[in-house]
Amino acid sequence: MNFTLLSPSGFWDPVLWLIFLILFGIIGYIIYSRGNPSYKPNTEQVKPYLSGNVEPSKEKIMVRAGDIYWGFITALDEYYVALKRMHTGDLRDYILWYLGIGAIILFILVGGV
Amino acid sequence: MGKLYNFKRSLWVFHASGGSCNGCDIEIIAALTPRYDAERFGIKLVGSPRHADVLLVTGAIPRDFADKLRRIYEQMPDPKAVVVVGNCGTTGGVFYDSYNLVGPIDEIIPVDVYVPGCPPRPEAIIDGVVKAWLKIEKLEKQLEGKE
Repeated sequence: MNFTLLSPSGFWDPVLWLIFLILFGIIGYIIYSRGNPSYKPNTEQVKPYLSGNVEPSKEKIMVRAGDIYWGFITALDEYYVALKRMHTGDLRDYILWYLGIGAIILFILVGGV
Repeated sequence: MGKLYNFKRSLWVFHASGGSCNGCDIEIIAALTPRYDAERFGIKLVGSPRHADVLLVTGAIPRDFADKLRRIYEQMPDPKAVVVVGNCGTTGGVFYDSYNLVGPIDEIIPVDVYVPGCPPRPEAIIDGVVKAWLKIEKLEKQLEGKE
């Protein structure tokens, strides 16, 4: 029985795939079995060496994506403070803004005539 | 002194300096210079205790450094050995009973070999490291026996 699927860009044979999977599994196990058997998980042995200092929490030392904009946000701090004050998270406030700004635009366009 | 039998790899050493005056540290470096060339036996300094078999400690230990030294020792993989180089680490030396020091080092972490001297000669340091090597070989055999 032929399992090989031939296509213009190559071939796919599940038997061959299985043979390689087993082969790499054996190689992986050989590497794993040669590891240090006295290794102690969940101790200082698994933590990074930071000149003997305690490892700070990931949140404290992680550089977040938002940190890329640090200079931008700091330079425009006053503008952002005003913007944040307007963004209350309350939908009714946003509808009020929408109606208020809409009324102003209408007044400008129609001119109150 | 005993003989090394079947230690299968080179010996990696991590050096932690407490309140050392650097006299002992310089002698450790001297042991690696071409005159003594400890590296030809596979003994070399490494930058992390996580890679090390032997911990070399020099100097008296200031209060703030004690927990760091303990952590460094705990981060070393087993089997491991500790060598104290110099009088200050061994007994406190001229700083004995100082208000700002803890130790001697064997009150903080278990010590296997003492190399006294102010500073000790490179030959003495190499001799101490070889003694530690013998101890590690024994510990390794014990660990293999447990498997």
